[in-house]
Amino acid sequence: MSIYASQAAARLRRHPVHTLLAPIPFVCFLGTLFTDVVYWRTADMQWANFSVWMLVAGLVVSVLVVLAGLVDFLADPGLRAQRAAWVHGAGDAVALVLAILNAFIHSRDAYTSVVPWGLFLSAVVVVILVAVGRNDRGLVYRAGSGPTAEDRP
Amino acid sequence: MNVRLLVAATMVLALAACGPAPIDPYRQVGPNPYLPDIHQYLLPPMKVAKIVGWGDKTPTVAPGLQIKAMAKDLHDPRSIYVLPNGDILVVEADGPPAPVHRPKELVMNLLEKKAHSAVKGGNRILLLRDADGDGVPELQTVLIDHLNHPFGVVLVGSDLYVANTDAVVRFPYFPGEIQIREPGVKLTDLPGGPIDHHWTKSLTASPDGTKLYAGVGSNSNITENGIGAELGRAAIWEIDRATGAHREFATGLRNPNGLTFEPTTHQLWTVVNERDELGPDLVPDYMTSVKDGGFYGWPYSYYGQHLDPRVKPQRPDLVAKAIAPDYALSSHVAPLGLVFYTGSNLPPQYRGGAFVGEHGSWDRTQLNGYKVVYVPFANGRPSGSAQDVVTGFVGSDGAAHGRPVGVAMDSRGGLLIADDAGNVVWRVTAAGS
Repeated sequence: MSIYASQAAARLRRHPVHTLLAPIPFVCFLGTLFTDVVYWRTADMQWANFSVWMLVAGLVVSVLVVLAGLVDFLADPGLRAQRAAWVHGAGDAVALVLAILNAFIHSRDAYTSVVPWGLFLSAVVVVILVAVGRNDRGLVYRAGSGPTAEDRP
Repeated sequence: MNVRLLVAATMVLALAACGPAPIDPYRQVGPNPYLPDIHQYLLPPMKVAKIVGWGDKTPTVAPGLQIKAMAKDLHDPRSIYVLPNGDILVVEADGPPAPVHRPKELVMNLLEKKAHSAVKGGNRILLLRDADGDGVPELQTVLIDHLNHPFGVVLVGSDLYVANTDAVVRFPYFPGEIQIREPGVKLTDLPGGPIDHHWTKSLTASPDGTKLYAGVGSNSNITENGIGAELGRAAIWEIDRATGAHREFATGLRNPNGLTFEPTTHQLWTVVNERDELGPDLVPDYMTSVKDGGFYGWPYSYYGQHLDPRVKPQRPDLVAKAIAPDYALSSHVAPLGLVFYTGSNLPPQYRGGAFVGEHGSWDRTQLNGYKVVYVPFANGRPSGSAQDVVTGFVGSDGAAHGRPVGVAMDSRGGLLIADDAGNVVWRVTAAGS
């Protein structure tokens, strides 16, 4: 598999901001799915409250992740030539739109804030992000303390 | 690319937020309201009229009536109670601070702020004395200060009861008194904080004076704070005046206010704020007689057996016995005041029925309520359509001069209206009287 190593334009000290922050929304959205399932099984509102806070926290950090990713993408013609980079951006964009939609669903009151459409969207967002992550194996950042091309299988 | 998708998504959301077109509210006024299908929003409409105050303007009254400000520049006047000697009590109060349990509540709290006067609530009871009956009080005093978000007040003998948001408190009252310095004595705790979503506790006494009735609103729109937060709520409490012991007289009433005994049948009546976010025309707010032991649906169902899909687990046993209310007032009008008119100052068409103060909607693209209506009664039951009596709270530019809350009848038959956004007490009388 060919690997493209980009010199990230958006860096904090030497760390690429995009990879620094990207795990946060993923963990938040995965947590949302988990607490959605528990709410679905228990109808205990506290789990739905966990869900909506994690969902909103994930969305807030997503804004920074998207901005950093766009800066990297626009600053590096070599990255823009990578098909995997386009798939990455498109996949994340779809996931983000669905997560925003999900935040509105989760802002309803009581049961229908989660069941069925909130739970469904939480699951779809996680599935998309996992799929995008698998596609990303051809993309790494150079420099900084992040993984380098040599670290990847 | 991401930005374009975001813009597109926002537009889709905005469209989805509109929901169904609102119907003519009068299809939902009366004993058998039209109930459309449920519409659950992605983004519910949040439209309250911006508060601009009255200046020199006054509300508009129906032909044959006149209106005058009785007191101005008050601090959140919410309810009015007239003492036997004609003195008028005005309860000034604001709501307790609302906790933030979900991101949505950050937005809702901002909306609440916009919907109410910027003036801080007095949390006290004023006394107005208009001995010559010209509608201009000669005396205005603070009868009781430092109350805890009070709303209801009722006098039985020489005991003046005040319903704070967390307790019914008794004060000694002597005829003619203009200031009570004695501390109150707690009769009964009421469900208060820390959430205290519907905080206004309406209060009245049975005709024989042995029992008090307190309205205790729900702690949520539709159980989103958990069913455990609803203990003792969405109910009318019957409190024994001698011992302070209480029981739930009726339940399933989401936010009951304006508790009043109908003067001919001596039946308890209330106005109730029904649930939000099921569409512009669900669920109609209503007025109803209250049956001992009656269950009126909240949270599980509305208007009898119409199930609310947002409530889990459901309670089919309760839904089966849910009583449909007597008279719908249309959706989201927010009735908070109710008085039966037993005076003779107003023209004959306003005698024997009930005036209802409608605080006004937030959950609807076209405002509804923001007025005082009259519901004619015959033989102790509503008979005929509600009529607009006092309007003009919202100007043609969509800004609100004020919002009506509590209503009362003074000793000369004038109709009194507490306006918590305009910070005015209005007095309506027959034209030329």
